Amino acid sequence: MEQFGYENSQPNLDAVFAALADPTRRAILSRLADGQASVNEIAAPFEISQPAVSKHLKVLERAGLIERDIEEQRRPARLKAETMTAAVSWLEEFRKFWGTSFDQLDDVLTQMKIEPKEPDNE
Amino acid sequence: MSDLPEYILDREFDAPRDMVWRAWTDPELLSRWYGPGVETVIHKFDLKPGGVWLNEMKWGENSMLSKMVFKDVTPPEQIVWDHYSSTDSEWNSIKNPKMPDWPAVLLTTVTFEEAGAKTRVRLSQIPVDATDAEKACFAQMMEGMSKGWGSGYAILDEMFAEMQVK
Repeated sequence: MEQFGYENSQPNLDAVFAALADPTRRAILSRLADGQASVNEIAAPFEISQPAVSKHLKVLERAGLIERDIEEQRRPARLKAETMTAAVSWLEEFRKFWGTSFDQLDDVLTQMKIEPKEPDNE
Repeated sequence: MSDLPEYILDREFDAPRDMVWRAWTDPELLSRWYGPGVETVIHKFDLKPGGVWLNEMKWGENSMLSKMVFKDVTPPEQIVWDHYSSTDSEWNSIKNPKMPDWPAVLLTTVTFEEAGAKTRVRLSQIPVDATDAEKACFAQMMEGMSKGWGSGYAILDEMFAEMQVK
């Protein structure tokens, strides 16, 4: 069951969220979701230079959102799923905190209408 | 930075305002719904300006403590508190272990507005005395929520689909 909880040994979520706050970097991640790609291949659909793409890749790499192959000459970048999952689940936890609590409040209010004064203490 | 990032959640409840107010301010009722899918234990609940609400959420072997200090209590319209989202076992505010730049204190305002037989509730949270890094962290989270970072999910979905093909 999913819980509102904190696990240890997490990636640095501050860096992850800072990296994700940029639309170009999110687009690069989307591109990489289709599979690994070189800087050339990533730069192609964007109206930005390769050095600019390289800079974005560095930010993403530092945040742990991607990793790059050092063996191959073209150094293809690929997405690191774990980091992405950690960031998305943190967002989800925050959203869930009040959202789910309010769903539960709905249930409590329904119970209160049935048993108007002294609620049953289970 | 003049305009602070704000989290707002609006919700209408199908119950009269007095009842909704009671569900928020009677600790026995509050502990039944506060906290998603966890067991909530309210250690102290002193509903007046300066009074505290000491809260524990338990799940499995885990426990998470938080502290709320009430600033304004106007029945049945509004409650305002400083929300310390993580504390140690002595109820002293601590940094969030997972996200060091998460604001330690969020000014939380809950308003209750009558809408016929129903009640409109608005929850708002704003970082208090936050550093620029904390404000930025909160702002990025809020941006992520409003844009859904749907992209976040979309990217994961695509990726998992891709991984299954291979």
